[in-house]
Amino acid sequence: MQDLSASNDRWPTRDLPVAPAGEGASAIRVEKLSKHYVHPWTQRRTVGLDGLDLEVRAGEVIGLLGPNGAGKTTTLKLLTGLIKPTSGRAWLFGTPIEETRSRRRLGFLPEQPYFYDYLSGREYLELAGGLSGLSGAEASRRALHWLGRVGLGDRPALRLRKYSKGMLQRLGLAAALVHEPDLLILDEPMSGLDPFGRRDVRALIQEQRARGTTVLFSSHIIPDVEALCDRVAIVLHGRLHRVGTLSELARGSVSAVTVCCGGAAIFERPPSWGDRVTRRESGEATEFVVHDPALLDQVLEVLVRHRASVQSVTPERASLESLFLAAAETERAGAIGRTA
Amino acid sequence: MNAALVAHNTFREAMRDRLVAGVLGGGFVILAATQILTPLAMGEGMRLTVDLGLTGITLLGLLVILLAGTSLVAKEIERRTIYNLLSRPIARPVYLIGKWAGLTATLWTTVALLGAGLGAVLVARGAANHLPSLAQALVLAGLELSIVTALAVLFSALSTPVLSALYTLGAFVAGQWSDDLRHFALKLEPAPRVAVEVVAQLVPNLPLFNMRALAADGDPTTVLHLGLAAAYALLYVTCVLALASAAFESRDFK
Repeated sequence: MQDLSASNDRWPTRDLPVAPAGEGASAIRVEKLSKHYVHPWTQRRTVGLDGLDLEVRAGEVIGLLGPNGAGKTTTLKLLTGLIKPTSGRAWLFGTPIEETRSRRRLGFLPEQPYFYDYLSGREYLELAGGLSGLSGAEASRRALHWLGRVGLGDRPALRLRKYSKGMLQRLGLAAALVHEPDLLILDEPMSGLDPFGRRDVRALIQEQRARGTTVLFSSHIIPDVEALCDRVAIVLHGRLHRVGTLSELARGSVSAVTVCCGGAAIFERPPSWGDRVTRRESGEATEFVVHDPALLDQVLEVLVRHRASVQSVTPERASLESLFLAAAETERAGAIGRTA
Repeated sequence: MNAALVAHNTFREAMRDRLVAGVLGGGFVILAATQILTPLAMGEGMRLTVDLGLTGITLLGLLVILLAGTSLVAKEIERRTIYNLLSRPIARPVYLIGKWAGLTATLWTTVALLGAGLGAVLVARGAANHLPSLAQALVLAGLELSIVTALAVLFSALSTPVLSALYTLGAFVAGQWSDDLRHFALKLEPAPRVAVEVVAQLVPNLPLFNMRALAADGDPTTVLHLGLAAAYALLYVTCVLALASAAFESRDFK
């Protein structure tokens, strides 16, 4: 595959794009970012990313969700300078991504990171810290600190060829954090970790959020995204499908409302409710499940009139997983329709 | 700063690799072999020792470049270790310069160690007067290998390790024949002559770094020769690394 960077709409090398006004509050700003590949023999064009727009505010944790091949890793590699965009612009803390200095405040963990077998964990972190601008003594001090923080501090001189997959993932995270960056970009950070490792990584991300670090990460593990993210961006077929907080994404997706009453609420259900309101007994409580939210006011009115002790009213929202799967299905159906 | 870090890491990788240890061992075996062959040289034992010793040092250096240098960048891309470096605030040309400097330092260390062995043999054989010319020949060998390393970095940044090794070996052989190419061009018709002359100018002028015959006789070369060779090497390496950087700048790491 060859990229189209040399085409007319190539990434500008002169007259570098100036960050738009108000950029200071953005850790990441992406405008119409695209990456296309052309096979050198067949000239077949593959779209890696197609006009992505995204803004990540400083200090927030945002998760990138999408199926395989949706463009998540392409987005992260574009932001970290590993691949060049075909068109579009992006900034890290107001600095265009094609400038080397845009990566000064960045820590990056690639998917399934690979390391130098001949180095020890300590030597690798010292190298990583040095390349990110730390002095020799400071890099050495922080290397030991971060080895300890990710649970690898007991054998700092162990060569990396003897590390397990989980240990390498932890080391990669330590390398991303060794210079204590303001922006952390993590590509599948939980990949290859056992439940304890996942718990530790989650704790590290939460700790980074507490110190004000902006975190952008991709993941297939939806519970992790739900647990960690302030906002979620769903990427499908190289495009941003939806972005928002979990509640924003779930808005309009209320499928039912459960009204819980203490004791047995004895009254005759109005016939007009039909199957739209069902009743179930659970222990000392009675629950009315309102399948048509439009009926909720009427149900509550009836309950109050019959002096039922209403304890809670809980909307049952769609989970992130169901929202994601529904979005992917809709997009796929649309793609098939467009092809037909 | 970052180039020095990359260079240090490359040097550390090469020195921890068994390849350099093997090359050093092989070099000392060649030195020992020259001493066994000396009685057969009919009074030319010293010439044989110096000539074979210096040739062995250059060829072993070339072996290190072909086995380690030609995969210097390609291996990092293939193993994706490059992701961890280039996602940091390090410019791609700086990375390439660091890679070249690290392997060049490795080669100079190898040349120095093998040269010290050769010098010890000469002293043991009562030919300490050959040492100044030997030292000059070793410096020129180091400069020659520095140029070949730059070519290896260029090819490694653009191609696979196997093809890089073939291109580098081809450039080394063509460079050794660059004088012959120029003489050959004079015998051609005008059109092909220009083409061959261009090729002869583009390939490195490696005979400039060959003073094995002088060193074998214990004759030193001039300071002007050393200065010109150093300046040529610096210019050639700069041009090759600039070319490599320009090509590497637009490369994607998928």
